[in-house]
Amino acid sequence: MEKPFEYDKSRQPANSAFKQQKLPGHYLRLTATAVLSIFFTTGLFCLCVGIILILSAKSTKKIEVNYTKLCADCHELRDDASKFRKACTCSIPFNLPEKMKGNVYMYYKLYGFYQNLYRYVLSRSNAQLMSKNIMDVHGCDPFKMSEDKIPFIPCGAIANSMFNDTIILSYNLHSSEHIQVPMLKYGLTWWTDKYVKFQNPVSSNLADQFEGSAKPPSWSVPIYELDRDDPGNNGFLNEDFIVWMRTAAFPTFKKLYRRLSREHYFKEGLPAGNYSFNISYITRFQGEKSVVLSTLTWSGGDSLFLGLVYTVTGALTWLSAFAIMAVYLMLKNRKENLSL
Amino acid sequence: MFGAKKKSLEVERMVKANDREFNEKFQYADNRIHTSKYNILTFLPINLFEQFQRVANAYFLFLLILQLIPEISSLTWFTTIVPLILVITMTAVKDATDDYFRHKSDNQVNNRQSEVLLDGRLQNEKWMNVKVGDIVKLENNQFVAADLLLLSSSEPHGLCYIETAELDGETNLKVRHALTVTSELGADISRLARFDGIVVCEAPNNKLDRFSGVLTWKGSKHALTNQKLILRGCALRNTSWCFGMVVFAGPDTKLMQNSGKTKFKRTSIDRLMNTLVLWIFGFLVCLGIILAIGNSFWENEVGGQFRAFLFLNEGEKNSIFSGFLTFWSYIIILNTVVPISLYVSVEVIRLGHSYFINWDRKMYYSGKGTPAEARTTTLNEELGQIEYVFSDKTGTLTQNIMTFKKCSINGKIYGEKHDEVSEKKEMAKGEKPVDFSVRSQAKRTCQFCDHSLMESIQLGDPKVHEFFRLLALCHTVMSEETSAGQLIYQVQSPDEGALVTAAKNCGFVFKSRTPETITIEELGTLVTYQLLAFLDFNNVRKRMSVIVRNPAGQIKLYSKGADTVLFERLHSSNENLPSVTFDHLSEFSGEGLRTLAIAYRDLDDKYFKEWHKMLEDANTAAEERDERICELYEEIERDLMLLGATAVEDKLQEGVIETVTNLLLANIKVWILTGDKQETAINIGYACHLLTDDMNDVLVIAGNTAAEVREELRTAKELLFGRSQHILDSQVLCEKQQPLELKSVAAEDSVMGDYALVINGHSLAYALESDMKNGLLELACMCRAVVCCRVTPLQKAQVVELVKKYRNAVTLAIGDGANDVSMIKSAHIGVGISGQEGLQAVLASDYSFAQFRYLQRLLFVHGRWSYFRMCKFLCYFFYKNFAFTLVHFWFGFFCGFSAQTVYDQWFITLFNIVYTSLPVLAMGIFDQIALDTSYWTVINHVFIWGSVATYFSILFTMHSNSIFGIFPNHFPFVGNARQCLSQKYIWLVILLATVVSVMPVVAFRFLKMELYPTLSDQIRHWQKAQRKTRPPRSRRPQTRRLSSRRSGYAFAHQEGYGELITSGKNMRAKAPPPTSGLENMTDSSPSRMENVWKKTTDAASGFGQDIPVKL
Repeated sequence: MEKPFEYDKSRQPANSAFKQQKLPGHYLRLTATAVLSIFFTTGLFCLCVGIILILSAKSTKKIEVNYTKLCADCHELRDDASKFRKACTCSIPFNLPEKMKGNVYMYYKLYGFYQNLYRYVLSRSNAQLMSKNIMDVHGCDPFKMSEDKIPFIPCGAIANSMFNDTIILSYNLHSSEHIQVPMLKYGLTWWTDKYVKFQNPVSSNLADQFEGSAKPPSWSVPIYELDRDDPGNNGFLNEDFIVWMRTAAFPTFKKLYRRLSREHYFKEGLPAGNYSFNISYITRFQGEKSVVLSTLTWSGGDSLFLGLVYTVTGALTWLSAFAIMAVYLMLKNRKENLSL
Repeated sequence: MFGAKKKSLEVERMVKANDREFNEKFQYADNRIHTSKYNILTFLPINLFEQFQRVANAYFLFLLILQLIPEISSLTWFTTIVPLILVITMTAVKDATDDYFRHKSDNQVNNRQSEVLLDGRLQNEKWMNVKVGDIVKLENNQFVAADLLLLSSSEPHGLCYIETAELDGETNLKVRHALTVTSELGADISRLARFDGIVVCEAPNNKLDRFSGVLTWKGSKHALTNQKLILRGCALRNTSWCFGMVVFAGPDTKLMQNSGKTKFKRTSIDRLMNTLVLWIFGFLVCLGIILAIGNSFWENEVGGQFRAFLFLNEGEKNSIFSGFLTFWSYIIILNTVVPISLYVSVEVIRLGHSYFINWDRKMYYSGKGTPAEARTTTLNEELGQIEYVFSDKTGTLTQNIMTFKKCSINGKIYGEKHDEVSEKKEMAKGEKPVDFSVRSQAKRTCQFCDHSLMESIQLGDPKVHEFFRLLALCHTVMSEETSAGQLIYQVQSPDEGALVTAAKNCGFVFKSRTPETITIEELGTLVTYQLLAFLDFNNVRKRMSVIVRNPAGQIKLYSKGADTVLFERLHSSNENLPSVTFDHLSEFSGEGLRTLAIAYRDLDDKYFKEWHKMLEDANTAAEERDERICELYEEIERDLMLLGATAVEDKLQEGVIETVTNLLLANIKVWILTGDKQETAINIGYACHLLTDDMNDVLVIAGNTAAEVREELRTAKELLFGRSQHILDSQVLCEKQQPLELKSVAAEDSVMGDYALVINGHSLAYALESDMKNGLLELACMCRAVVCCRVTPLQKAQVVELVKKYRNAVTLAIGDGANDVSMIKSAHIGVGISGQEGLQAVLASDYSFAQFRYLQRLLFVHGRWSYFRMCKFLCYFFYKNFAFTLVHFWFGFFCGFSAQTVYDQWFITLFNIVYTSLPVLAMGIFDQIALDTSYWTVINHVFIWGSVATYFSILFTMHSNSIFGIFPNHFPFVGNARQCLSQKYIWLVILLATVVSVMPVVAFRFLKMELYPTLSDQIRHWQKAQRKTRPPRSRRPQTRRLSSRRSGYAFAHQEGYGELITSGKNMRAKAPPPTSGLENMTDSSPSRMENVWKKTTDAASGFGQDIPVKL
């Protein structure tokens, strides 16, 4: 007679919560109290943040001077190729009704300059900029080399199109006396840009190092002569250059140009009064250019956007909280009526 | 597989025995079978070719090529190649593993040993080396290696017994009969080796029951029929050895010809996904066109001057051409809406679900130590969408064990607990089944808890004695006594085995038979009866009788048969016994038992002699022999005295009733497709509550000609419509113009009441022809249950195909034997019952488990969960990719449509495969669903926070100084992360984004829950309503039925054994062959005797309260 066969029990699946899909889980139980309290708290929080943001954005002072039209003469001049190199300076007076307290920053702002075009963004050589190999012009099309096959330093479309207007702010101390507002041209960049991403070749004389290269076609001076006043602010480490090389995401953008040096009259910031910008207009393009003077707060710039969105979100959350409460109470009443 | 061309050319096969050279001319397939797809050399090219045939992969290859064109390239090549290689490798590894296992199983089969007559002696050969024309020796219980022509066997007259369970699911023994000329060869090796007959026969085909050919040997020709052929997949039983000549080998065998082609199975989610991807692709093209037009305009309006300023060297450029290039650039950038990782993720999720099926303890059968197995990992979510279940009967619904459960003797029921008192009494006794072991030879097999029967036997109630005497005498069972003194019964039908065993246990032991006598042991005394006549069973008679002379010289006719047939032939002196017994029969069959009526007749000597003479005359008559014999049988089988009735249980597997009920409750249609005969199939239909008494009618289609079948279908349809006609007259008329599908759907709703359809295999053959199959399908789909009986393996597949094709429904086929393989392969989902002897069904299946009842766990838990998870996953996935990608569309308007990306390239490369893959996968694989609530488990936490951590660590690495120092041109983002994340503004934006995304969802969910009842509430409500309108049928085991369809006649399908017995052809003269445990009906382990009515709580407990709802 056949005996009951002993089967291999080892094939029995393990009785673990994971394998049997019985892991303890938790989920949000959407009770009325929980939902309503979440909504009211969140709404309150958003409203507060929004109001704070709006207030702080309002507290910033900002003045913007669009000089495309105001320097129309220079603008026209640049149309004429024969007078392309001719220097052109225009002076734009303006009045600062209130004083700007604290740190004041000067930006240049471009309208309709597409620094975000795909091929424009790619047209640079990071290996060159960090001096890993300064003759490396890989990826710099179409500004790799001059017609004589001499590589550009710096190469690429970004570097070639660098903003090169010079803007000087003067303060009209009296009707006759104009003093130049002291501005700092360092401290404009990210730390990593200045100390990692951009490096000059190790040498006392940059001109020697850049021997055998050409300046970009649109440039009037080679890279080692960008700042004649400060030898340390030359080469790839020129801060205006670094700022320009960090391409903007949108066609309308402003880039930090100078910081106010808080000394003498300007210890507290910019006093109210009459000022003027003296701008050497170098290049023209289809868009517009302007200068911006602005102070900063903890949350960033003068944009109201985030504050407004927070406020609106908070308000909507409260509204929906009330709506939910109304619906809930209505249903509850109906249920009670039914059960009665 | 190979040489398909050759096969189509082969119209006739010519095989010469023992002559390989001769047979090689024809290049017949050898006995090696191939189910694998690749070998080591062909794997790479074939697999890659196959993979790139998939639209998605080809698409990504195309993208890759686009990216290599510098004018177009907006993303570097690695953004595509990294995921593509990952995907291709994963798929290749999976394919390779699958194929490895196929190789392994092929090898195992191909390397089985069999004895082949080579060079004049028997040699062990591997199956794969067996060639057409070889002579093979088979021993008892061996599987047949190829289709053999039976030459000789150990049994007299060249008989041999085979079991064809693997082939057609029937487990009763079948007889094969060698030609007389060849059976004389016996086991004489030298003569066999000299055998040089030539067989000319039909070309390989898939008809299991047909074979025609001619054997030419020694100048004379002998016709060959199916009776001479032993097919691959059969097992030799009760025959110690036999010799056969290989006619068809390997892929030409009828088994392989029947196995159908493996089809690549796709789920509806796959199809949905493909459609979605196509739509999204269209959407992508639209976006590309918009952006390209934008670019053309921009180039014209702005870019013209701007370019001159930025790109001095390039001169004038056509803005249209620029737009054209931009289009391709954007196609590349926006391709992440159709991410390659979608396909990988779906595969991974399915794999995870498959593991959960494998790990499920609730689908582990401890009885056989078999866990469930998901053999195909790509179909899980389809399990939640099943609309039709096609089930095999034997071995799937039933255990194929017959048990003698009850009997009614002289108007009294035995084998039933009558009242609580006696029950308690028995409890006190320890609930022991009646133990007959005091008697010699008796064994405990029948679960028969009735001591009153014992008492009746001991008291010597003559009717009871006669009843069991009849059971011991009137049958076709062969007995054998082993050396240990044990009796072994060889049965052609398990029902008979159950009856003879029951008689044995009650003290009437069938000992042995010769052509003229039957010896039984009556309560310890040996009595030999003279067997005078054997009135055999056939389908028309539905009864069998024996005429015996007992030692006292009395002649008696013992008859057992279908009650409807026997009751017509009772003597009028039976008084009210027939009506009492009839009630009992109704009761038995109401419980799903297979019943037989038992009757006898005393014959006087003179009458019998006259009759016997006429019978002999008839036997020798040249004309109308069968008719005359039949008339004589009718003549003597009358004026019977009723003894009682027997009830045999065709044991259902555990939990079958609950499973079937739940499937029906879930609106899944269950069809039984079985090779069994009609009565058996219907009986099982009732037993598992697929057919019920409150059904209006059971329509039977059993016509033998096309016209008959057509007529039957028509009447059946009229019947169905007739009842509901008064309501739906017009509807039916207008439906006639609509296409079939709509029509039948509408009609289904319009039919009033429940109907069941029973259709016979031979009718099905006609009904499946093109002109009638629509009618059949329509009818079948209107019925609540469908039973197809006597169907061939191929017909099973055809039925499945029919439903699949015309109903557009998701089908599941479940079966255990080789005869179910084609059905399993053609259904959307094939399920094999594992743990049985044969493996074919399991090997062909997509899922396998040991018990039918696990089907509900598979469908209602795993299927449902898989479907839910997959749907959620797809939503989540498309959402995240759209959110990710559409940013570029928006940004296009700000960057002069120049195809500038917002994100850096590494972020794009890694976004889908690293940063966001795990959280979606976690949800897709591990989400635990209790109706509509999603749980957050440990895994979700680990994956989500892990992904966030991964993101930041990769971010800081890529933005670090050192990596910039090494690859300044590839990682130019040094310092970005530090600079950005130190801005308060960023954090405020992140916080706000979170609030804005989460709050509406919370509000929506809460309001939905309040305003509209949740899904779970709806389900509960729905179920309550269902229960009210349709009381569940399952809970009524005591249903009484007043119908004539209850009689499951307990005999083998074929007639002719009577002749074998009386002629003594199958009487054994030699020593008995080695015992085979299978036919040993007296054996049964306690576990097999478990009560099927026992309610299983196991299967239902896994899916919460109310899972059986298909959404």
